[in-house]
Amino acid sequence: MDKIIEINHLQKNFGRNEVLKDINFSVSKGEVVCIIGASGSGKSTLLRCINLLEYPTAGEILYHGQNILQHKMTTAVYRAKMGMVFQQFNLFNNLNVLQNCMVGQVKVLKRNKTEARKTALEYLELVGMSQYINAKPSQISGGQKQRVAIARALSMEPEALLFDEPTSALDPELVGEVLKVMKALAKSGLTMLVVTHEMAFARDVSHRVVFMDEGVIVEDDTPEVIFNDPRNERTRTFLKRILEN
Amino acid sequence: MAITPDSGFFQWVMYIAQQYWPLFLRGAEVTLIISLTGTIIGFCIGLIIGVIRTIPIDPNTNPILRFLYKIINIILLAYIEIFRGTPMIVQAMVVFYGVAMVYGIHLSTLFAGFLIVSINTGAYMAEIVRGGILSIDKGQFEAAHSIGMTHSQTMWNIILPQAVRNILPATSNEFVINIKDTSVLNVIGVTELFFMSKSAAGNNFRYFEVFLVTCTIYLIMTFTVTRILRFLEVKLEGPSVYTIHGSQTVPEAEFRITDRGKH
Ligand SMILES: Nc1ncnc2c1ncn2[C@@H]1O[C@H](COP(=O)(O)OP(=O)(O)OP(=O)(O)O)[C@@H](O)[C@H]1O
Ligand SMILES: [Mg+2]
Repeated sequence: MDKIIEINHLQKNFGRNEVLKDINFSVSKGEVVCIIGASGSGKSTLLRCINLLEYPTAGEILYHGQNILQHKMTTAVYRAKMGMVFQQFNLFNNLNVLQNCMVGQVKVLKRNKTEARKTALEYLELVGMSQYINAKPSQISGGQKQRVAIARALSMEPEALLFDEPTSALDPELVGEVLKVMKALAKSGLTMLVVTHEMAFARDVSHRVVFMDEGVIVEDDTPEVIFNDPRNERTRTFLKRILEN
Repeated sequence: MAITPDSGFFQWVMYIAQQYWPLFLRGAEVTLIISLTGTIIGFCIGLIIGVIRTIPIDPNTNPILRFLYKIINIILLAYIEIFRGTPMIVQAMVVFYGVAMVYGIHLSTLFAGFLIVSINTGAYMAEIVRGGILSIDKGQFEAAHSIGMTHSQTMWNIILPQAVRNILPATSNEFVINIKDTSVLNVIGVTELFFMSKSAAGNNFRYFEVFLVTCTIYLIMTFTVTRILRFLEVKLEGPSVYTIHGSQTVPEAEFRITDRGKH
C-alpha cells in the first residue's frame, strides 16, 4: 500500500525530558489510525512532530518516501498537505466561519476567491455548518467550532488529517456531532490519524490502533487485537483502567 | 468692555478668552495636529518594531541571519530604552539642537515637534504592540502554520488584526497622553497651546487667568478625544449579530441571532 507517512527512529526531547523515544510507524493512504495512551505519554508531541509544529530531535519523517527533515520540501508546502484539528479548535478569531475556511486556500494554495468560497461552502455543507458562514467563532458552540475547524482543514484538501483529541474540550452532549462527522470522513476514505480517548470510536472506526506509553509505541495492531486480545501487559492495564471508568 | 488692573477675576477671564481666542485656537490646533500625527506615526513605528521583535528564531535558522537579527534587536532595544527612559522635554532639546549642530540643518520647530512626538510614541508603542502580539493565543499561530501559512502570512492575516484591536485602548491612551505632553515642546518654540498661552500671559501678566483658560481647553480636548475613541472602539468590535442562511432560495428564511452580553 502507498505509505503517505513513514516514521523511523523518531525522537523528541524537551531539554532533558525524552518525550518520544525511537518511534517507528507508518500511515498508508485511506487508513484510519487511532493513537491511544495515558496522559503525558507523548501522543500530542508525536502528532505535532508529524506536521512540524515541533521539530524532532532525531530520526526521519518520510512523506511519500522523502525525508522532510532534510528540507527537500519547504515546511509550509508540506504542512498544507497535513491537515490538523486541535483540541482547542483554534479557529481564527478575527475571521468568520467562511473566511476561516478560505484564508488558507487563498494565501497558501493561491486559489482565487470564487473558487475558495465554493470549496469552503462544499466542506461546510459536509460538516453541517453552511448555515453559519457569517458567524464569528465566539458566536457558535464548541461542537460547531470543531466542525468548522474540520471544514477548514478539509478545504485545503490535505492528503491526511491529524486530529489531536478533537472532542476532549467539548461538553458531553456536543461530542456526538463531531464524532459523527469524523465517522463519515473515515467512511469516505480520508486518511486519518486520530489521538483520542473515545475508545468506542477507536474500536469501531479505525483500521489500526496504536497504544503509546512513556514515549514509545507499545502496541500497533488492529482494533480487534488491541481491544479483545492485547499482546502487551501495559496495553491491558491501560484499557482495563479506561474501560472501568 | 473696559478692562483695568482692578477688574474682577471673571472679567479678566472673559476678557482673555475674548481677546486671545485666535491665539488659543491656533495653539490648540497645533497641539492636536502634532499629537494626532505623532500618535499615528508612532503607532506605525511601533507596529514595525513589534513585528520584528516577535520574529521566531529557532536553532535551525541560518547563523548569519541569526546574528543579524540579534544586532537589529539590540539596536531596537536601545531605541526603546532610551526614549522610554528619558523625559520628552530633554529629548526635544537634544534632537532639535543636536540636529542643528551635527548636520547643520535648522529644523522648523513644527517639523521637530512631529519628529520628537513620533519617535517618542514609537518607543512606547513598540512595547505595546509586542505585548499585544505575545498575548494572542499560541493556538492561533499553530492553526495558521498547520494549514501551511508562513510566519508573515500568519502575522498579517491572523495575528495583527487581533493584536491591533486589543491594543486600541492603549493606543488611544497614548494619543491622550500626547495631547498633554506636547506642551513640553514649548522649550524649542513649537507654537502649541502651552506656548501660545505663555505668550498671551506675557502680554498682561495675568498668568492664573490665562492658564485657567488653557486648562479648560486641554480638558475639553482630552475629554472629547477620549469619548470619540471609545465610541470608535465599540464600533470596531464589529456587529454582534449574524445572519443564519436558512435557505438560499427563500431569503425570508434568514433570521438573525445576536449575542449581546454573551462573552
Ligand atoms: N513544549 C513543551 N515543552 C516542554 N515539555 C513538553 C512540551 N510539550 C510537551 N511536553 C512534555 O512532554 C510530555 C508529553 O506530552 P504530550 O502532550 O505529548 O502528552 P499527551 O500524550 O498528548 O498527553 P495528554 O493526553 O494529556 O494530551 C509531557 O510530559 C509534557 O510535559
Ligand atoms: Mg495531548
